[in-house]
Amino acid sequence: MRRLYSTVNRREFLRQGARDAGLLAVAGVSLAASERSARAAAGKDANPFAYDLERVSKTDPKLIRYEAALKFPSVAPDPRRLALGPNDDLYIAGKRGIVILNLAGARLDEIILSAPARCVAVGVDGAIYAGLRDHIEVFDRKGQRTATWESPGKKAWLTGLAVSDRDVFAADAGNRVVLRYDKAGKLAGRIGEKNKDRNVPGLIVPSPYLDVAYGHDGLLRVNNPGRHCIEVYTPEGDLELSWGKPSASIEGFCGCCNPIAVHLLPDGRYLTCEKGLPRVKIYSAQGQFECVVAGPESFPENAKAGAISDKSDGMLGGLDATVDSRGRVCVLDVVAATVTVMKAKA
Amino acid sequence: MREGVRAVAVTGLGGLFALAGERAGAKPTVWQIDPQKCVRCGNCANHCVLEQSAVKCVHAFAICGYCQLCTGYFEPEPNDLNTAAENCLCPTSAIRRTYVEDPYYEYTIDERLCIGCAKCVEGCNRFGNGSLFLQVRQDRCLNCNECAISKVCAGDAFKRVPADHPYLLKTMSH
Repeated sequence: MRRLYSTVNRREFLRQGARDAGLLAVAGVSLAASERSARAAAGKDANPFAYDLERVSKTDPKLIRYEAALKFPSVAPDPRRLALGPNDDLYIAGKRGIVILNLAGARLDEIILSAPARCVAVGVDGAIYAGLRDHIEVFDRKGQRTATWESPGKKAWLTGLAVSDRDVFAADAGNRVVLRYDKAGKLAGRIGEKNKDRNVPGLIVPSPYLDVAYGHDGLLRVNNPGRHCIEVYTPEGDLELSWGKPSASIEGFCGCCNPIAVHLLPDGRYLTCEKGLPRVKIYSAQGQFECVVAGPESFPENAKAGAISDKSDGMLGGLDATVDSRGRVCVLDVVAATVTVMKAKA
Repeated sequence: MREGVRAVAVTGLGGLFALAGERAGAKPTVWQIDPQKCVRCGNCANHCVLEQSAVKCVHAFAICGYCQLCTGYFEPEPNDLNTAAENCLCPTSAIRRTYVEDPYYEYTIDERLCIGCAKCVEGCNRFGNGSLFLQVRQDRCLNCNECAISKVCAGDAFKRVPADHPYLLKTMSH
């Protein structure tokens, strides 16, 4: 017959008891540790009031059709906007003035200004237009100042420039208007101001990010960040059409006030930049979302809230982008002070 | 010997009086949050010794964009831009949205409801002008010697400021 119970003396009983208690204690500690790590992994110890952008902070890789070919420092301290010249030289507006780089990142020249440059454009003739806070200064291709234009007013805050054969267009975020100048600096028109008779709803610009681009079709593209759209105007100020919708999803413009920059590709498609969720995207000529050039993953510093708000001059991070003659997209990250040259994926 | 002891005693007493005088002349200070350092960690809501935190969201109207789609007011992906609870970010409905004119809206904080969680502050700072920010309300703060929130502040944003200038307000030139 099998013995079900064995007899143990008191010493053996105590020894076994101590061993079992030790095992239980070790198991308990391990369980607690694993629970803690599991909680941490699940983010349960994190901020219970977190602002959740998890879903939209990651871009579907299938939508990203560009890859970084080259990345280099912007050289210009506190860079704000960039533009390409006729020879694919890069002009970067920053704290000291305009820095000129080639597309390999080598510094070619610098134009020192009396105040920070907030935007820049280069004409086909090589003339350089630098937008300071409240006026435009013009330089020849050698960097010699040829003109200083009159300020459009006290509240002027120039944030974008575009040049056509005959005109210079300046986006004035402070007065929520695009100013049309002739090449001599004479004010020739005001575009985008609220006007019921002309069916212009008006530009809504909560922060200093107003941009303008001039297309080969002779029309102007202006971002209207407070309405989350791009508006198309004639140089005379007639509103032709607008497109865009607010959405944190990839096809829309996120946050309270986006897009912050607009540029046109040679075939008429749009290149747009957003802040908050820093994204560079391409839309068709009709305004349909096509693809992502770079998503928030590419700009980790820029994606932090209030990344450079301590500068107290209205800039709150953001990006700028343009396209070179080979179709590569040059992206300026104003927080990291870098330029990334993006080429289309094979 | 006796003279020496007396001189030492007089010097010591003089030093004590001088120290006491200096202490008495020191300007009183209070706790405050540096809005440029605040990282919106949420600890202000949970770690104050008061049942409802002395930290509240305040609004600098001068730098607000009065946006229709305020990211301090609405969830990141709202169903619609209206005041329905599912669209609103604030866990206690402490922000009031008032129509001004197309397309502008004004946002005001109801401090009785605000718990200082900084959810709205994060939304406003991420996308907007950062006009919403946290401050220690001096009419509520007990001015503890060792502030319980300051010990866990993730951004090291808590600091002592002169009691006659107790607030650190945000400004912007645009």
